[in-house]
Amino acid sequence: MTTNTAGNAAATAAGIGQADRSGGTSVLLQDLSRVFGTTRALDGLSIEMAPGELVALLGPSGCGKTTALRIVAGFESADAGSVMIDGKDISSVPASRRDMGMVFQSYSLFPNMSALDNVAFGLRMRKLGTAQRRQRAGELLDMVGLADQASQYPHQLSGGQQQRVALARALAIEPRVLLLDEPLSALDAKVRLQLREQIRTLQQRLGTTTLFVTHDQEEALSMADRVGVMRQGKLEQIAAPDELYEDPATAFVAEFVGIMNRIPGELQGSGTVSVLGGAVPVRGESPADQAVDVLVRPEGLTMQVGPNGNGIVTTRNFLGSVTRVGVLLDGDVAVQVDKSSSEAAALTPGTSVSVSLPAQPVLVAPRR
Amino acid sequence: MAALGRAGGIGPPRIGGSRGSSPWASTGWRWLILVLASVYFLIPLIAALRFAGISSFGSVISQSGFTSSLALSVRLAVITTIITIALMLPTTVYVHLRLPKLRRLLEGITILPIVIPPVVLIVGVLQIAPGFLKSTEYLLALVYVILAMPFAYRAIDAGLRALDLKTITEAASSLGAGWITTLWRVILPNLRTALLSATVLTVALVLGEFTIASLDLYQTFPVWIYVNSQTSGQVSVAASLLALFVTWLFLMAITVIGTRQSRKTGGGSVTLFTVARQETRGD
Amino acid sequence: MDQTVAAPGSLADPGALGSGGAAASGPPGRLTVPRALRGLRRALGVVPFGVYVTLFLLLPMIAVAIGAFRNSSTGSFTLSNVKTATHGVYLHGFEQSIVLSVITSILPGIFGLLIAYAIFTAKRGTVLRQVVVTASGVFANFGGVPLAFLFIATLGSSGLATKWLIDIGFDPYAHGFSLYSLAGVVVVYMYFQIPLMVLVILPALEGLRPAWREAAENLGARSWDYWRFVGGPVLLPSFLGCVLLLFGSALSAYATAEALTNGTIPLTSIQIGSFLNGNVIAGQENVGKALGLGMVVIIAVAMMLYVALQRRAAKWLR
Repeated sequence: MTTNTAGNAAATAAGIGQADRSGGTSVLLQDLSRVFGTTRALDGLSIEMAPGELVALLGPSGCGKTTALRIVAGFESADAGSVMIDGKDISSVPASRRDMGMVFQSYSLFPNMSALDNVAFGLRMRKLGTAQRRQRAGELLDMVGLADQASQYPHQLSGGQQQRVALARALAIEPRVLLLDEPLSALDAKVRLQLREQIRTLQQRLGTTTLFVTHDQEEALSMADRVGVMRQGKLEQIAAPDELYEDPATAFVAEFVGIMNRIPGELQGSGTVSVLGGAVPVRGESPADQAVDVLVRPEGLTMQVGPNGNGIVTTRNFLGSVTRVGVLLDGDVAVQVDKSSSEAAALTPGTSVSVSLPAQPVLVAPRR
Repeated sequence: MAALGRAGGIGPPRIGGSRGSSPWASTGWRWLILVLASVYFLIPLIAALRFAGISSFGSVISQSGFTSSLALSVRLAVITTIITIALMLPTTVYVHLRLPKLRRLLEGITILPIVIPPVVLIVGVLQIAPGFLKSTEYLLALVYVILAMPFAYRAIDAGLRALDLKTITEAASSLGAGWITTLWRVILPNLRTALLSATVLTVALVLGEFTIASLDLYQTFPVWIYVNSQTSGQVSVAASLLALFVTWLFLMAITVIGTRQSRKTGGGSVTLFTVARQETRGD
Repeated sequence: MDQTVAAPGSLADPGALGSGGAAASGPPGRLTVPRALRGLRRALGVVPFGVYVTLFLLLPMIAVAIGAFRNSSTGSFTLSNVKTATHGVYLHGFEQSIVLSVITSILPGIFGLLIAYAIFTAKRGTVLRQVVVTASGVFANFGGVPLAFLFIATLGSSGLATKWLIDIGFDPYAHGFSLYSLAGVVVVYMYFQIPLMVLVILPALEGLRPAWREAAENLGARSWDYWRFVGGPVLLPSFLGCVLLLFGSALSAYATAEALTNGTIPLTSIQIGSFLNGNVIAGQENVGKALGLGMVVIIAVAMMLYVALQRRAAKWLR
C-alpha cells in the first residue's frame, strides 16, 4: 500500500512545517462537565496530554468520549471546566479559529470538490495562493498514498480512501492538535487495520498531539501512547495500554479491556475472598455485598488434568500458540483458561480438570 | 514550503466577532421570515372570513346545488379511490417483488400525469372516449385515477421501501405462507399508513378537482362553488373556506395517525407530501 | 400442530419467490420455451395497470398529438393548426404563460428556500417544523377556485387588504394593479407555489450533512465560506430542479386563472379550455390540440431537466 512511498512520505513529512514542530502542543482538559437534559454526559473530566502524544478515549457508547472531543474541537461548549492549549484557555475561541484538524466518522468530505480541492480547503481558508495550496495538497495526498486519486470525487472513492483524504485534509493545515472521532468505525475490518497503522505512523512522524475517540479496545490499545477508559462521563483510568491490561484500576476497566472471567466468591472480612475452594487477597475496591464475582484473566487461571476435578472441558478455541479452553465448573460457572496449544491438545471435551487461582491479589465486582 | 506563519496566537483565519460560528439564520432572522410568511398566508383567510360573514356558513348548506354537487364529488372520490388503490397496490407490490427492473419505467410513467396538464388530458379523453362513457359521470372517475396515480404510487412505494419487502416475503414464504397469505397478513398490515396516505391524497384531489370536471360539464363541488359565485359571492367564499378547513383536517389527521403508527414500529414522523403535488388540485 | 410447508413451485404458490415457476433442472433443450413463457407470465402482473394507462393516458395523448396535425374538416395531415398555435394571439398566450411561470417559479423558489431554511435550522422535533410542513402540505394542495375566491375577498376591488392599503394611502387599483390581470394571477399563484417549494426543497436541505458544516468550520470557514464553497454548490442542482418543477406546475395550472379572470387573460391553458367550451372559429377546432401538444412539449423538456438535475443532486446528497 504505502510501503513504497514510505521513504517519500518521511522526507515530505520532515519538510513540512517542522520549524513549528519544535515543541509540539500540550493539551489540558480541566474538569469538563456537560449536562444534556437530565443526563450527565461529562462529569468532571480532566486529562493532561503531553506534546506529540496520542491519547485514545475508549468507552461504550454514551460514555461521553465524543462529547469531550467535540468540546475540544469547539462544536460544543462545556457547562463547566476549560480546555487549555499550551497553557492558554481556548474555551471562548470559536471552532473555526482553533487551528485543530478533525477527522469525522464518515462522509465528511465535501461532495462537490475533488480530493485535491478537499485537502486544499483549509489552506484556501487561510488565504494561500492557488498554486501553493494545490501543491501542498498534492504532497499530503501523496503522504497518504492517494496521489493518483487527486482529481476524483468523494462518491468515486471507497470508504477507506475517503477517510485517508479526510486525514490528509485535516493535516494540511498543520494543526496543533489532531482530533479523530471514531474514524475507522464505518470501515470494514481489513481496511481498518491498514488505516490504523497509517494514522499512527503519520502521527508519530509529524509529532502532532492527537486525541482519538473509539469504542474498539483493540484499536485503542494498539495505537495509543495512553488510553483513557471512560464510563458515564467519568474517566475510570488513563494509562499506557500494557498497564491498563495488567493493572486495571477498576472492575469496569478490567472487563472492558481484554477478556475477563467471572467466578463467584464470598468476601471474607479480612480483605480476602473465598473462591474455588481457596482464599485469595482482594485488591482495589470491595463492593458492599458479600457475594461477589472474582475477575481473572484466562491466562491467570491454572488448570490440571485429573479425575474428581472441579470442572469439565467444554470447548477449545485454537488461537495459534495459545488455545483458549472453555471449562464448565461446578455450580454452572463457565470460564476460559489459556493453555499452550501443545498442552491443550490432550484436553478433549469432557475431560475432568481442576481449575485454581494462584495466590495473587484479584479484583472483585458485585455479583451479576 | 513556507510554514503557515502561526508563530504565537491561535492560527488564522483572523476574523472579527466572537462565537461567529452559528448559521446566519440565527433566531432573529428565522422568526422574521416565518412571521412574514405567516402574514402573507393568513391574510387571505382572514379577509375571506370577514367577507363571507359568519351567517354565510350556515346558508352554504341550504344553497341549491350544494347537496347534489357535494354528493357527486363524494361519489367520484370513493370510486376513484377504490380503483386507484386496486390498481396501484398490487402493481407496485408486484413490481417491487418480481420485476425490479421495471421500477424505473413505473416511476417514469407515474410522472407523466404531472407533465401532462389536466386541461390537455381532458381534451384527449373527450376525443377518444366512446359515447356511452362520455355521457356518464364515471368518465370523470376514470380520468381522476390517472391524476391520482402519481401520489398513490409514491405513497405506496415509500411504504414498501421502508419495508425491505424481499426479505420479509422470503421469510414468510420460508415459514410456509402462500402468496395471498403473505400479501394479506404480512405486507398489507405494514402498509396501513401508506394506504391511508394514498387514500387521503386521492380524496383531496377529487374533492378539489375543477378543470376536468368543468370542461366535461359536470357540476362537482368545486364547479358548483364557481358557478354559484355569480349569484352569491359570499356563500362561495364561505364554501371555499370550508373546503380548505376540511382538507386541513384530513391532512393533519393523517399526519398524526401516521406518525403515531410509524413511531410504534420504530420509524420517524410521517410526511406525505413529496414531489409535485399541487396543480391538479382545484385545477 | 399441523404445519404444511409449501414446496417450491407448489400450487399454493404461483410464481413462488426464488423458484420462478419453471424448474431450472430438466433437459437443456427444453429450457428456451419455458423461460420465455416464464417471462411472459411474470409480466402478467402489470397488465391491468398497463391497460389502464394505455386507455386513459396514452391513447388520449396520442389523440391530441394526432389531432394537432389534422385538418378538422377533411381529416388530412396539415401543419396549419400548429402554425396558428404559434402565431398571433396564441403565441401571445404562450409568451404570457411562460413569463408567468418563470416569475412564479423563481420568486417562490427563493422564498420557499428561505422558509425551508428557517425551519430546517430550528431544533429537531419541535412543533414548529411539523406545523410548517403540514401547513405547506395543505396550502400546496389548495389552489383553483377556492383560492381564487379567497383572494378576491382579499385583494379584489373591494377586498379587505385593498381597503387597508387605501386606508394607509396607497390604492393599488389606482396604480394599475388588478387582481384580475396577470399581476394578480402572479400574487395568487405564490400562495401554492411557495409551499410547494418548501416541501420539495426540504429533503435537499436535509441532505446537507452536518459533518460538512463542521468540517468546514474546523478548517477555518465561516458561515459565508461554507455556503459559498460547499452548501451552495451542493444545493444548487436541487434548487434548480425544484424551480423547474414549479415552472411545470405553474404552466399547467388552469382553474385558478380561470376562476380569477373568467378566461379573459391570454394564457395557454385558458385558451385550450375555451376550445372545449366551444368558443371556436370554424376550421380551427384542432388548434386547441396543437396548443396542448405545445404545452406538453415545453413541460416535458422542463421535467427532463428536472430529473437530470435531481439525479445529479442525488449523487452528492446520498
